[in-house]
Amino acid sequence: MGGLSRMSTEQTEQQEAVSIPPTGIRMIAREFKKDKLAMFSLTVLIFILLFAFIGAMILDQDVVTKINILDRFARPGDSSMTGHKYLLGTDEGGRDIFGLLVFGARNSIFIGFSITIITSIIGVFVGLIAGYYGGIIDSIIMRIVDFIMILPIMLIIIVLVTIVPRYNALTLVWIMSAFYWVGKARLFRAKTLSESRRDYISASKTLGSSNFKIIFRELLPNVSSLIITNLTMNFAANIGIETSLTFLGFGLPSKTPSLGTLTAYANNSETLANRPWTWVPAALLILVLMLSINYVGQALRRSSDARQRLG
Amino acid sequence: MKKKIVSGLITVAGFSLILAACSNKIDETQPTEEKKEHKFSPAVKNKGEAITGQTLEIAQVSSNDFTGVFSRTFATNALDSSFFEPADEPLFTYDEDLRVRDGAAAIKFDEKQKQVHLTLRDNLKWNDGEEVTADDIIFTYEIIADKDYNGVRYNNNIRNIVGIEEFHDGKAVTISGIEKINDKEVVITYKEFTPSMLQGGGSVWSSVMPKHVFEDIPVKDMEASDAVRKNPVTFGPYYVSKVIPGESVEFLPNKYYYGEQPKLDKIVMKKVPTASATASIAAKEYDIYVGMQTAEYTSWQNSEGYDILGQQQTSYSYIGFKLGHWDAEASKNKYNPEAKMANKELRQAIGYAIDNETIATQLYNGLQVRANSLIVPAFTSLHDDTFEGFTYNPEKANELLDQAGYKDINDDGIREDPEGNPFKINFAFRDGGDTAQALAEYYIQQWSEVGLDVELTSGRLIEVNSFYEMLENDDPKIDMYQAGWSTGFDPNPTGLYSENGAFNYTRFVSEKNEELLNALSSTEALDPAKAKQLYSDWQAYVFDEAYVIPTTYAYEVVPVSDRVTGYDISRDLDHYVYADLGVTAEKR
Repeated sequence: MGGLSRMSTEQTEQQEAVSIPPTGIRMIAREFKKDKLAMFSLTVLIFILLFAFIGAMILDQDVVTKINILDRFARPGDSSMTGHKYLLGTDEGGRDIFGLLVFGARNSIFIGFSITIITSIIGVFVGLIAGYYGGIIDSIIMRIVDFIMILPIMLIIIVLVTIVPRYNALTLVWIMSAFYWVGKARLFRAKTLSESRRDYISASKTLGSSNFKIIFRELLPNVSSLIITNLTMNFAANIGIETSLTFLGFGLPSKTPSLGTLTAYANNSETLANRPWTWVPAALLILVLMLSINYVGQALRRSSDARQRLG
Repeated sequence: MKKKIVSGLITVAGFSLILAACSNKIDETQPTEEKKEHKFSPAVKNKGEAITGQTLEIAQVSSNDFTGVFSRTFATNALDSSFFEPADEPLFTYDEDLRVRDGAAAIKFDEKQKQVHLTLRDNLKWNDGEEVTADDIIFTYEIIADKDYNGVRYNNNIRNIVGIEEFHDGKAVTISGIEKINDKEVVITYKEFTPSMLQGGGSVWSSVMPKHVFEDIPVKDMEASDAVRKNPVTFGPYYVSKVIPGESVEFLPNKYYYGEQPKLDKIVMKKVPTASATASIAAKEYDIYVGMQTAEYTSWQNSEGYDILGQQQTSYSYIGFKLGHWDAEASKNKYNPEAKMANKELRQAIGYAIDNETIATQLYNGLQVRANSLIVPAFTSLHDDTFEGFTYNPEKANELLDQAGYKDINDDGIREDPEGNPFKINFAFRDGGDTAQALAEYYIQQWSEVGLDVELTSGRLIEVNSFYEMLENDDPKIDMYQAGWSTGFDPNPTGLYSENGAFNYTRFVSEKNEELLNALSSTEALDPAKAKQLYSDWQAYVFDEAYVIPTTYAYEVVPVSDRVTGYDISRDLDHYVYADLGVTAEKR
């Protein structure tokens, strides 16, 4: 799709593009085929997603989060009184770490994903409007964005999470989305600014296309490569923000397991040293998840940029 | 153990923080059958003869710094008192009910005359060689009652002395209720004579200030003076020889000590940060570790070369119910018979539904035991071991709820209130320690098993300070809460549960309750047998009304090196513990 802009600007490239039509999906597939690490990361990522979402469907959350103080800190492989075997041991409340890991991964991924989608929709929309219209509209929108950007966002989120009564995963998603869209708005505004100065936009304007049509049928496709790469990178970052908030004790309520609550067990020096089974699996999962998302994201970015492409 | 002599009652804010203990299964082959009962001894096993020429090192484990106010008249910080202990012997010792008895001074109570006779030991001397005299005792009271004194000791207990308020207001030059008989004897007359006076931390102040040192210092400058900060003059077995502020204090033996000569050449007391205490034990850095966190008990309980001393603290945890509000204008609690938790059977059912036995042994690793009443076992002759209290009995809980009309009408597993409306209880829980979360969730789970829908107030554990603020202001979001009290040396619970008590967080008031509580403060209760009867009566009433449900009593544990002899953390020793302290080997 990135070919569209080039088509109108450079004659030579236009001819090339006609001879080998570089459609997005095929380009991405080719990029992955060339990059073994990205391929491997993608496989791991898909496996983790399946593990979390299918696992969460099979297991019963009420059973997993039930306190069992007779089985506190059971080691991996220990059996409970009822004969249930704890694959990865239990935590301070006698809850099965494996089950918590499944639900924790699902919740963390879900939250990270939701925030990414919501902030992207808001950010892209606001960025497009500001960049396309420019002038006073741009100024007003960007001053609002600047204002939100200079706020100590982490602190405000912590305060909001503390004062909101009966909060849950969804509340957390909304609170975080309310602040994290500004970065995207700024990014997409910059891209739109340069894009909307191009001839094809001017041509479209001269032909009398409506602004709505120009923005969504012409501008949007041309910034879409940026959207996709930004989405993946942000996905990893947002999972990170959620887990660190929860680790600090300001994220999800304790009844909702997340990768953050699991790693937070390492806050206790005794647990850190002597009961690694409570926090190591979650920490490892975060590490692997982040790395694979990053490699996948890098492959995506390369595929959208002709100069970096491997394939 | 003077730091525990607290007058009145204090809230145990970080209570569960201190007591939070994590369990680690010691024997993996039979993890669940194992009973984690601890039979602690308060005294060291080593009964050997102390050797001479040794230095004993004591670690005060704390995350705070001591401020270095070495005078109990001025100190407000418990850690300061701990750092002063080897020098600062109190005038008295305490018996098994923590009543005052003879020590450095002999004490006699005369309830008819409302008087107390104090007789100092003949050979009681300050560490500079001066005699401790009756004038010193009178001087101490005059400092506390001075208008320039702004410490915490001028309290209701002290104001109970005849003529002390006139002295404080400047209307008299002496305190008329304190009379010097001769150089070693003093008689103090009180306005009222209550059973609480017999207890430690009561109206008889157990500390004395040397008049010859302080008489030339204006009262308002005393707290900052060298006599308090640098070289306090004391009559205990050791005296303060060197102070490094915020870090350590060194003590040398007091050669004028009234008893046998102290057995150590030197005592060094150092602050050890909580975070590095466990590693410090492993490295055998100190002989005694005071103030160890029980949360990490399992990581140091089997330390080689150390013996773990323990005893029950004079504190309890409980679950309370909000049943009214505090009327600030009238300074009274107002009971609300319409309160959500006003149903007695409901409260009893909540008590029967929780398994405190399992919580104590499993969650607290045996460092807590199930509480049967609000009178802690430390008051040996008042505490009733045979009293059943609330035991785990979900059938009975179900039965009581059915009787009271809390029935599950729509078959969703949750009981509705007698009118058939949805019934949800808001449970406030303090944040503190690693076990707090598990404990709160376990309670809620157990209540849901008898069909009660309990939810944490504000959805999470509440930070300690805001928790107590909410409790004091009768926040409507609290129907039920978990908290703790430290009772100090006085078993009398009147301040915590009476109509006039601001600390009566439940706001429960009834005529019968007042009557039973008043009896505890009456002269009738001076008779031990009668006192036990009166306490039992009140206890039975609390159990029946169930406006608070006692949950657990906690242990304090102190690791002590095997080479230490003569150390004992009991509160009821007949001598001062540091006088006997010694070591039997040169190496730890």
